[in-house]
Amino acid sequence: MLLELAHVSKAFGPTRALSDVSFGVRAGEVHVVAGGNGAGKSTLIKILSGAITDYRGELRIGGGTVRFHEPQAAVRAGVATLHQELSLLPALSVLDNLLLGERRRLISAWRGSARIGECQALLQRVGLSIDPMRRVETLGLSERQLVEIARALGHAARVLVLDEPTSSLAEPEAERLFDRIAELRSQGKGVVFISHRLDEIFRVADRITVLRDGQVVFSGPASELDEGSLVEKMAGRALDEADVPRPRERARVTLAVSKLGVRPGLADLSFELGEGEILGVAGLQDSGASDLLRALCGAAPHRGDVTLAGHPFSAASPRAALARGVCFLARDRSESVFPARPITENVTLSSLGRLFPSGVLALGRERALTASATEPMALVAPSLAAPAGALSGGNQQKVALARCLLAEPKLLLLDDPTRGIDVAATADVHRLVREATARGTSVLLASSDFDELLTLCDRILVLFRGEQRAVLGREEFDRAHLLALAMGAEAA
Amino acid sequence: MKALAWLRTSSGRALVPLAVVILIGCLFHQNGAFFEWSTHRALLREISVLGILACGMTLVIVTGGIDLSVGSVMAVAAVLVSLMTMPLGWGGLSATALVLMAGTALGLASGALIARFRVQPFIVTLAMMVFARGLAKLLSGGKKVTNYVTLPDGSSSTVDLPALFRAIDSKVLGDHVSVVTLIFAGCALVTWVVLARLTAGRYLYAVGGSYEAARLSGVPVGRTVLLSYALSGAFAAIAGICQAAQETHGDPETGAGYELDAIAMVVLGGTSLSGGRGGVGLTLVGALTLGMLQKILSLNAFSTEARLMLTGGILVFAVLFQRPWQSRA
Repeated sequence: MLLELAHVSKAFGPTRALSDVSFGVRAGEVHVVAGGNGAGKSTLIKILSGAITDYRGELRIGGGTVRFHEPQAAVRAGVATLHQELSLLPALSVLDNLLLGERRRLISAWRGSARIGECQALLQRVGLSIDPMRRVETLGLSERQLVEIARALGHAARVLVLDEPTSSLAEPEAERLFDRIAELRSQGKGVVFISHRLDEIFRVADRITVLRDGQVVFSGPASELDEGSLVEKMAGRALDEADVPRPRERARVTLAVSKLGVRPGLADLSFELGEGEILGVAGLQDSGASDLLRALCGAAPHRGDVTLAGHPFSAASPRAALARGVCFLARDRSESVFPARPITENVTLSSLGRLFPSGVLALGRERALTASATEPMALVAPSLAAPAGALSGGNQQKVALARCLLAEPKLLLLDDPTRGIDVAATADVHRLVREATARGTSVLLASSDFDELLTLCDRILVLFRGEQRAVLGREEFDRAHLLALAMGAEAA
Repeated sequence: MKALAWLRTSSGRALVPLAVVILIGCLFHQNGAFFEWSTHRALLREISVLGILACGMTLVIVTGGIDLSVGSVMAVAAVLVSLMTMPLGWGGLSATALVLMAGTALGLASGALIARFRVQPFIVTLAMMVFARGLAKLLSGGKKVTNYVTLPDGSSSTVDLPALFRAIDSKVLGDHVSVVTLIFAGCALVTWVVLARLTAGRYLYAVGGSYEAARLSGVPVGRTVLLSYALSGAFAAIAGICQAAQETHGDPETGAGYELDAIAMVVLGGTSLSGGRGGVGLTLVGALTLGMLQKILSLNAFSTEARLMLTGGILVFAVLFQRPWQSRA
């Protein structure tokens, strides 16, 4: 065993985040830790990375008991953690970032350039051929991830803890990452892979440990589980997506876009969106799907002809777009949720002008409205007065979605709305989006999860590097075809 | 531990330093002086001008900003109101209206630079602090504006103090409450209404919580920032009028360093400097804590030097105490 947890427990006040968790990671194995939101994955990562030090139980490395008192101690012991928010310094070069974590005296000469060769070799081990002098901020997300893995290898990491590493990667980039992981495994490293995406769990896992409510409900070879049984163990119940009947495509066009240009390389987009229709935007990392949504909501400058419900539409700001019934849900929760504010304030924020035109709040009415707006959300929250930041990621996402839906938008722009949230919350979000379309709301949905697009959308617009490659109707939906188009294959 | 759960709320934590200070006051009461209402009336009067500034500061800090210019804007207001009421002989109402407009205009200027060009509030209001101090000196000719005025015929004489000054510097309710304290209470009430009962307050918190999230949620971010600095300027103008009334002259040097005391009051209450949380109730507690501490130290005849050093130390202690005790996972 490279790394072993024995009877590890951790409580925050009355909340038991982990209770009696035991499992081990062997050399040359990919060990997936799966679990929904609130299962205890984050706490586990914090213990492995040395961010939480006051837990009960034991952590063993190579047979000896260790207790990390700071994150650096974990790194020195050979346990490297890649968090979802990468820890590279964007303004520094790749080289400096690779050297930065080394133990050195506070005042010593920085002879970085003398070690270019060493760094290049390190980058090659993760399959990166980039100039080490490049600043990290000029790299794409997947490249940054690989740089971080390279840094971990440079620190002689024996165990790599990857926290949902594909959550912000598109498919081919994720594939590349899986190849690297396979190589690390063959080099005898142990990989702890935190995930809740079914397809990739079975793609990479040798062994799986399933957490639910802080307890291990399964730990064993991946071959003993299949998708159905894994979901059942994660959720504690079998899940099936409620299939809300959807109205057929209607004749009335909500949004018509013609020759829309957002930035160089994202131009000449033309498509229509009908009332109550869900149009997916499929694309890989640099496809421009996010930029397209941001332009339509007025957050980015753009040109071209856009009509909304028959009238010319060109919003100068998200506020102006909102006034026309266009609401945007950002991909990143730090851009859609106000963690310090109560749930109520989060939910009503985009509707204050409509609800209280005089500018004076009626708190009782506001509470009642929030209660009815969140009622169909299956929100898990102590009370509506609780700060949104106290909720799990999936529930925060529901709060942000409730804010958009309360604004009763004609057009809802959703940027990867289920990114990083668990299976149950994802199903809830899908259901809510479908219900909104039943009320006539049109939805433009960008997603990095192609399965989500295929199940949820009426049509899918495919972007490849900012270029519109195809608009597929439901009868043309095919996973492989969609992926091929998004990867740059010409439409037939 | 359940009985202590209220300590985990921000208002609960803000009350603890105040309670400690009151306890100290009861222990070192100087032959009962601490138990006299007149002591507390004086205390409330002394914190009123700073408290008014702290109300405006709360609005700005909630948006994640800071307003360093309030002390100087206050001096501009003190000079202006003295000029208009004494040498120029304006009525109190019109003078007040004009001074309020001037203070608001200075706040709007800071706010416009911050909102339009996204310059850091610290830098913009630092510049405004220097600019407004210069303006106060220019308007006053570099000396105090008093009721000893030069008449058109070249002779000098002393005129009566304006009714506005005498009204502000008096006590009401059977001499139990100073008028400035009532003005302070009024400013706090206005601030509370803005933050807790108007949509504008929601926007202020949203902008402070996350500027980008607020913008994408359709919050009028520019106008919200403008509003906070305009109100801070208006409150600074009110504070300047009160200061001039209490000092019976317009001193261009007045209010220097007051911005830091106002910030201290806000922070002592537990409002976060990073924005998006806090409120005027907390600021009131902070103002009372700071004022009462000063009072106890002066009752017990501490020297000015010792008082400053003790205040600094206690400020650090109180703010450390304000931090959440247990970090959340």
